[in-house]
Amino acid sequence: MSSVISVSGLVKTFGRTRALDGLDLDVRAGEVHGFLGPNGSGKSTTIRVLLGLLRKDAGTVRLLGGDPWRDAVLLHRRLAYVPGDVTLWPTISGGEVIDLLGRLRGGMDPRRRAELLERFDLDPRKKARTYSKGNRQKVALVAALASDAELLVLDEPTSGLDPIMEATFQSCISDVRADGRTVLLSSHILAEAEALCDRVSIIRHGRTVQSGTLGELRRLTRTSITAETVHPATGLDTLPGVHGLRATDHRVTFDVDGDHLEGALRHLTDAGLRSLSSAPPTLEELFLRQYGDELAAAGDTGIGS
Amino acid sequence: MPDQTGTGTFLRFAVRRDRVRLPIWVAAGAALMAVQSSSNQEFYRTPESLAAYRASAGSNAASIAFSGPPVGLDTVAGTIAFEISSPLVLLTVLMAMFTTARHTRADEEAGRTELLRSAQLGRHAPLLAATALSAAASALLGLAIAAAATLSGLPAGGSLLLGAATASVGWVFTGITAVCAQLTGVTRGVYGLVGGLLGLSFVVRAVGDITGSGLSWASPIGWAQATHPWSEDRWWPLLLPLAVTPLLLLGAARLLDSRDSGSGLLQPRPGAEAAPPSLAGPLGLAWRLQRSTLLAWGLGVTLLGFVYGGLAESVKTLLGDNPDAQVFFRGDPTADLVDSYLGVTLRITALMVAAYGVSATCRTRSEESAGRAEPVLAAAVSRSGWFGSHLLVALAGATGLLLSDGLATGASRAMASGDATDVLRLTGAAVSYAPAVWVLAGLAGALIGAAPSAAVPAAWLAFGAVLVITLFAEGFDWPAWVTDLSPLSRTPTAPAESWAAEPLLVLLVVAAGLLTLGLATFRRRDLATG
Repeated sequence: MSSVISVSGLVKTFGRTRALDGLDLDVRAGEVHGFLGPNGSGKSTTIRVLLGLLRKDAGTVRLLGGDPWRDAVLLHRRLAYVPGDVTLWPTISGGEVIDLLGRLRGGMDPRRRAELLERFDLDPRKKARTYSKGNRQKVALVAALASDAELLVLDEPTSGLDPIMEATFQSCISDVRADGRTVLLSSHILAEAEALCDRVSIIRHGRTVQSGTLGELRRLTRTSITAETVHPATGLDTLPGVHGLRATDHRVTFDVDGDHLEGALRHLTDAGLRSLSSAPPTLEELFLRQYGDELAAAGDTGIGS
Repeated sequence: MPDQTGTGTFLRFAVRRDRVRLPIWVAAGAALMAVQSSSNQEFYRTPESLAAYRASAGSNAASIAFSGPPVGLDTVAGTIAFEISSPLVLLTVLMAMFTTARHTRADEEAGRTELLRSAQLGRHAPLLAATALSAAASALLGLAIAAAATLSGLPAGGSLLLGAATASVGWVFTGITAVCAQLTGVTRGVYGLVGGLLGLSFVVRAVGDITGSGLSWASPIGWAQATHPWSEDRWWPLLLPLAVTPLLLLGAARLLDSRDSGSGLLQPRPGAEAAPPSLAGPLGLAWRLQRSTLLAWGLGVTLLGFVYGGLAESVKTLLGDNPDAQVFFRGDPTADLVDSYLGVTLRITALMVAAYGVSATCRTRSEESAGRAEPVLAAAVSRSGWFGSHLLVALAGATGLLLSDGLATGASRAMASGDATDVLRLTGAAVSYAPAVWVLAGLAGALIGAAPSAAVPAAWLAFGAVLVITLFAEGFDWPAWVTDLSPLSRTPTAPAESWAAEPLLVLLVVAAGLLTLGLATFRRRDLATG
């Protein structure tokens, strides 16, 4: 599959702050790509470089086969963007903003516009001044989703939406994927990323720390195991890749690294396995693990990259 | 009194927020007073010049419309009161309006009041504190005016009366603003309503003063001017504002009780469901964003042109016998006095149009920093297309303003002179300021491109320098190189001076250079949000 976005070694500094420090990102055609990281990790900066709003200091950036700085206008005909913090012109109505953005991008589907207004339950006649944060976000979302763009760049698009609208958003993204379009979705809401994304990139301090399908990421990390055995399963703590072991007489709970799962299971079988439950890590756990050292005030140094 | 809880705290906070701007308003009032007093004492020191002034201004409808009732013109102090009371009232009303609205509707619109009200702050506290601050500031401004007048050698009693009369209009408009802030949910709407009422008060008073009917008593400005400082020194008309202001404040409090926090009593009209065809490209957007401001400016400038043009005939008799004033309206002593006067008024209006040009250009910066440029530039719109569209609206808008000023001045002058060529002549003179205005707007554009974070204050600083040069360089006899720094001074003061192409071409080249620099630097830099 060809890459729609390909970034490598991207560096962007603001004065003495190094906002992006060698970031890599690869988004393939037709996929929904999750772009995850906490506040200040560089997600919005990366997106602004991709949109030609900021100029890179080093590295290579390709977007839809072009240079996002030099070819900005040409490339922007083929993409639609929803900013993280949507500010609109106070005296212009939501419907007018949607039409304006559509015209500036070079076209939108009027039927889809009407259908999206319905789905997102948005009144287009209200002046932008009177919209809440969530409604401003809906204006930007309807404008982006109604466009014919082959790439959607969405910067935390659902941070102001209620759970019902969140579900509407997810079904809209599924439709977009079914059309074969590509989505770069920066998000805080990991359940959303888990539900929508084919692949994710996790960034931290302006660098990509992990990237791949959820399956690949899980293989790289630990699985939680709870087991009951006939005989007490002693000696687990001597095995490589076992963490956080808690044992009562016949019951053990621990996390095990993906590539040591087999050894640990064999050990449990030898002790006479009676019941076993294993849980693959959720995206949330993957994410927290990347940031474990920031979360853990003290101790537990085994976590982290 | 739980509704007033926290008023003191809020008031102290409001004073802190206004600790820079209020002293500036007060100082500006004192400075206006001092300048007017000393220049009139200089111009009209002989009984002949005073008599000529009285004969001219006292019988001229346009100057009465602009200033007030022509009383006490037999003394220099009387001419000062006649000429300065309108500008002082205008200044005080603007201060009262901005101060009151800023701490009531503007805070509420921005959501700050909601946050404060969730703490121990009564429903009436912000309104009470804002109006108290505005009334106190008006009183201070009045005292500063009285002090400046007394120090410039005018009788203390009349000085105090002029100060009190000016402050009283500030109090009435504090009350009017407080009421308007309950009516509309939008701060700009408050300014529109209060501005409209100010205009109405001014016109009602003007008609009353010209016709000599009692209509002036229907206007708060008329009440203040009925005190006749330094001639009859009447204090009793001030009983009217003292009675009306508390009624307005009580009314505002009642209205506040009958509405929800965050909304106004008047519901906003819904907008359009779909965009009109004109709202398409970056130029359509820039026009849509700037058109209502431009329209308001157009109305103001056209009105000013009519008034200035209408006053021209009286200048002949007013200045004909006054050699000192002839020096003020400078230029070739043999030149037609009327043309000299018109040249000065056209230049003052061009200065105001330059302020429009700078503020319209700076609109790009506020669009950028508020994050509203981002979605446009993330669409298929080039940097130069977006920036250039706003610049085009600013430059073309300013040119249109000069054109309507010239046409209005010319038309009202032609009505008096009966010479139809005046229209063309004065329109040409007004429009010849376009290159100078473009230089100032272009400088703002270049600054926004090259140094976005410092651009807006720097652009206004440059405008301030031009303003000071235009108003004071001649009077204080500053060296030519200082005057030459101002693009307005480089434009010939047509129609008094003969029109010349060369300085205008130089200004055009400078403007083109600055605009090119602005576009080139804006294309190359990061978008600066926040």
